[in-house]
Amino acid sequence: MSSLSTLLGAARATVQMSWWRRFLVRFDWPLFGAMALLCSLGLANLYSATHGTPHSAKFEQQLVWMSVGLCVFVATAAIDHRTWLRLSWIALGVIIAAVIAVDVIGHTSKGSQRWIGYGGLRIQPSELAKIAVILAVARLNYDRASGTLSRAALWARIAALALPVVFIALQPDLGSASLVALIPLSVAFLTMARLWPLVATLGTGILALPVLWDHYMVDYQKRRVLSFLDPAADPTGAGWHTLQSIFAVGSGRLTGKGYLNATQNQFNFLPEHWTDFPFSVWAEEWGFTGCVFMIAAFAFLILWILHVALGARDEFGAIICLGVGAMLFWHVVVNIAMVLGLAPVVGVTLPLISYGGSSLLTVFVGLGLVASVSMRRHGY
Amino acid sequence: VLIRAAPGSGPALPVLHSRLRWVVTAVALGLSFLVARLWQLQVVRGEQYYERARSNVLHERQLSSVRGKILDRAGRALADNRPSFNIYAVPRLLDPGTLQRLVELIGLSPRETELIQQRLALGRQRGRSRPVLILEDQNRDRAALVAQARLELPGIEVRDEPHRHYPGGKVAAHLVGYMNKLNARELGELAAQGYEADEFIGRYGLEREWEPYLRGKKGLERFMANAHGERVDDPGSEELIDGPRLVPPVPGHNVVLTIDLDLQRIAEDAFPEGSAGAAVVVEVATGRILALASVPAFDPNVMTGKLTRALEMELASDPRKPFIDKALRQHYPPGSTYKFVPGLAALEDRLVGPDDAFVCPGFHRLGQRLFHCTHTHGSMNAYQALQHSCNVYYWRLAERLGIERLAEVAFDFGFGAPTGLGLNGEVSGRVPTRGWYEQRDQFKMGYTLNAATGQGDVEVTVLQLVMAYAAIANGGALHVPQVVERVESASHEVVAQYRPRLRRRVEAAPQHLAIMREGMRRVVNETGGTAAVTARSQVVEYAGKTGTAQVRSRRESPDLSLGWHPDREHAWFAGFAPFAAPEIAVVVLVEHGGPGGKVAAPVARTIIEGYWGRVRGHQDRGEGTP
Repeated sequence: MSSLSTLLGAARATVQMSWWRRFLVRFDWPLFGAMALLCSLGLANLYSATHGTPHSAKFEQQLVWMSVGLCVFVATAAIDHRTWLRLSWIALGVIIAAVIAVDVIGHTSKGSQRWIGYGGLRIQPSELAKIAVILAVARLNYDRASGTLSRAALWARIAALALPVVFIALQPDLGSASLVALIPLSVAFLTMARLWPLVATLGTGILALPVLWDHYMVDYQKRRVLSFLDPAADPTGAGWHTLQSIFAVGSGRLTGKGYLNATQNQFNFLPEHWTDFPFSVWAEEWGFTGCVFMIAAFAFLILWILHVALGARDEFGAIICLGVGAMLFWHVVVNIAMVLGLAPVVGVTLPLISYGGSSLLTVFVGLGLVASVSMRRHGY
Repeated sequence: VLIRAAPGSGPALPVLHSRLRWVVTAVALGLSFLVARLWQLQVVRGEQYYERARSNVLHERQLSSVRGKILDRAGRALADNRPSFNIYAVPRLLDPGTLQRLVELIGLSPRETELIQQRLALGRQRGRSRPVLILEDQNRDRAALVAQARLELPGIEVRDEPHRHYPGGKVAAHLVGYMNKLNARELGELAAQGYEADEFIGRYGLEREWEPYLRGKKGLERFMANAHGERVDDPGSEELIDGPRLVPPVPGHNVVLTIDLDLQRIAEDAFPEGSAGAAVVVEVATGRILALASVPAFDPNVMTGKLTRALEMELASDPRKPFIDKALRQHYPPGSTYKFVPGLAALEDRLVGPDDAFVCPGFHRLGQRLFHCTHTHGSMNAYQALQHSCNVYYWRLAERLGIERLAEVAFDFGFGAPTGLGLNGEVSGRVPTRGWYEQRDQFKMGYTLNAATGQGDVEVTVLQLVMAYAAIANGGALHVPQVVERVESASHEVVAQYRPRLRRRVEAAPQHLAIMREGMRRVVNETGGTAAVTARSQVVEYAGKTGTAQVRSRRESPDLSLGWHPDREHAWFAGFAPFAAPEIAVVVLVEHGGPGGKVAAPVARTIIEGYWGRVRGHQDRGEGTP
C-alpha cells in the first residue's frame, strides 16, 4: 500500500512539476517585467509621498494590496481566459448591482459615493466595473461574430454595457464613468469594419454636452472644469490643485530634486497627492528624465499588450487584451494630463503607481487576463 | 518593431491588423503629447517653476530692531520704548469666518473692524502671503485672548513688538519729535533701505534727523512653512534656504543730548498758562543747549500712532500753531534785544565812548517824520541807554552808522543765517541791507532807524539771539549750538562724541562787550532798568535786555489784558547768568505776549533761578561765585 501511495504521490508531483514548468516557460515574462518595474516605481514613489506624514501607513497597506494583487495576477494568468466567456454577462450583472448598491448605501467621499464594503475593507465597484465591461465587450463581439444574435438582442446587450456607465455617472463620478465608457469605444474603433455609425453617435454625444452641463453636473464638477480652463483665476480655490501640481512638476526641471526631496509634496501643497497626483511627486523628484522613463515603461506595457492582442489565437482573448490596453492607455493619458494641467481634475488613478486597493486589483486582474491570453497563444 | 515581430499564426482580428499603424500612431501621439508638455513645464519653464515652488515653502520674516533712546545729559529718557502687542493677519491663510471670530473674541468696535478691513484690502495688494498689521499697540488682555485662540484664528498672529514711548509727554516735544507710519509713496522710496509697510519712521525733531542712528538694523529670519503656513523644520530641505537662517537685529544707537531735563521742564513750565513762545538756554562757554522749549507743544505719544482725525483738526486750528518749533522754525522782530548791535558798532567805530551822552527829548526827528521814544529819558550814555532802553540814543547812532554797518555787526553775531543746529528746518531770519531794500523798492533812512531798534524788517530766531548773547557773555566766542552730546550703542559704548564748535570770534573788542554786559546788568538790577521791578532776582545776579517787538496791528487799540492775542507785541528777554561769571545765556520769547519787561523777563528769571538752584544747587544769591 505504502509503495503504491508513494508511486501515486510521485506521479502527482510529476504532473504538478510539469504544469508549473509549463507555466514558467509559457509565462509572459516581458509583461511581468514591465508590470514589476512599474510596481516598484509606484512603491518607491508612495514611500516618498507619505513618509514622515500621518499617512505613512499607506505604504504598508499598498504593499499588502500589491501582494494580494500579485496572487490574483498569477491566478488569473493560470486560469484559461475562455473560462470567462460564459461568466462575462454574469460578471457585468454583479458589477451593475454593486454600482447601484454604492449609489444607495455607499460611503461618501468628497461629495460622491464611490465605495462599498465593511470595516477596513472597502471596494470601489467603479474600478472593477472596467474588467466586467472588458469581458462583456469581448463576449458581445464573440456573439456577434458567431452570427447568433438578433438585432434586438445586440442592442439589448449594448444597452446593458451602458448601464454601469450611467450608474457610475450618477454617484456622481464623471471621471470613472468616462473611462468606463472609453474602453468599449476604443475597442469598437479598433475592431469595427465600418466606423461611420460610431463617429455619428459620438458626435451627437458631444453635442449633448451642454445639456449635461446644465442639468446633470454638480457644482464641484463644474468648478473643476472651469478651473481647469483657467487655473490662475482662483489660485487658492478650485484651481489650487492644478496650479500647485504644475509648480511641482515644473520645479523638477531636467533631473529632479532627488528622491525624498519634493518640497511641494512634503509641505502639503498637493493634498492627497498619493491617490490622483503621484505623478507630480515623481516629476518633482526625478525631473524630465524620470518622467520620460516612466512614460516609456507604460508605453512598452501598452504596446506589448497590443502585441499580445495581435498574436492571440482567439478573438475573445484578443478583444480582452485590447480592452485592458485601452483601459491602461486612457488611465495613463488622463491622469498625467490632469497632473500637467491639460485635463480637469477627475478621480482617475495612475495604474500601479496610485495608492488604492480597488484600482490596483483591477489593473492586476486586467494584466492577469492578458497574461492568460499570452500564455495560450500557441496552445497550452 | 515590437508588433511586427509578433508571430502571426493566423490573426484573430484582421481589422486590427489593418489599423495597426493608426493604433500605434495614436498611442505614440498621446504619450508624446504628454512628453512635450513635460518638456515645456520642466525644461522650458523649469527654472521659473522651481523658484515658485521654492517661494511656496520659503518664508522670510523681518525681526524689528529696538529703536535707540533719546536721553538727556544725565541719561534720563526723553524717548524710549515700551512693550506692546501688535496683531497681524496673513491674507492667504484667513478663512471667511476668521475676522468675525476675532471681532467677537475681543469685542472690536465697528470703527476698528472697518479699519481692519481697509488694512487687509491694502495688504492683499502687496501680497497675499505677507503679514498685515491689523491692530497695533493692543493691551495685554486682548493679546492674551488672541494668542489663546490661535487655533480658531488661522492666519492671525500676535507679535510682541516695542512701541515708541515718550515718558515726559509734551516735554521737549519739538526737539524730540515724534514718529508715524510710512505712507505708500515713501514705502516705495524707502523699501530699498529695508523699511516695510506699517512701519514707523521719525517725522519731527531728533526722531527725524537722527533716524539713521536711532533705527538700528533689522534682523531676518528665514524658515520653511507648509501649505497651511505652519512652520516646518525639515533638515532635508534646509539647503533651499540660501544664506543664514537668522540674522539677529541690531538695536539702534542711543542719542545723548546736552539737554538738562530738569531745566527743560523749568523752562516750559515758566511760560504763563495759555501763552505761546520759546525759550532757549545755552552754556556760554560751549554753545551746548541746556533747554530748548517751544510752547504750546503736542504730545508725541499721541502723535505716534494715536492721532485721531478730531485731535488733528483741533491742533491744526489752534492759532498758536503748536506744531511750529518757535525756537528756530519761526523768526520774529527782536525789538530792543537787538540794541547791542548799534551800541557795539558805535563803540567799535569810536563814534562814541561809553560815557558819552545824548539827550533824549522823547522823540527823534527824521526829515518830516517824528520817531517817538518810550519816555523822555534825558541824558543817556551807553549804559543808561541799555538800562532804560532809550530808542533815541540808538537812532542817533544809527544815523551815523548807516544800515550797512548795522548789518555787518548783525551778520558777525550770526544773524541772517542758520546757526547750524540742523533741526526742524531752522530758518535764517533776516538782516536787512541797503541792497535788500533796493531790490524790493527803494531804501529810506527810516529803515536804518527801525533796524537799530530791532523793528521793521529785522527778523531773528530765538536760537540766533541766544547764541549772540552767549557770545556777548563769554567775551566774543560765537558757537555753533549743539544739542547732541554723543551717540552710544545700546551697550553704552560711545559711537560718536561731539565737541563744541566755534563758529567764529566776533570782531567786537572784549572791553566793548563788557560795556554791553554792564548795561544789561543795570537793566535787571538797577532802579529804572526795564526789568528791575519785574524780574530782579534775590537768588542770583543776572543781566539781560528786554524787548517789545511791535506787530502790525489790525486794531486801533489792542486790549490790554494778558495772554496770547495776535495784535499784541512779542515780549522778549535775552540775557545771561550769573553776571559775574556767566555760565548760561537765556532767551525767552513770549509770542504776542505784551511788554518784554513785564511778560518775558519774569519767565527768564524763573528759568535762571531754576538753573541756579536746582541745576547748580546754589541756595542763595552769589554763593559759590567769585
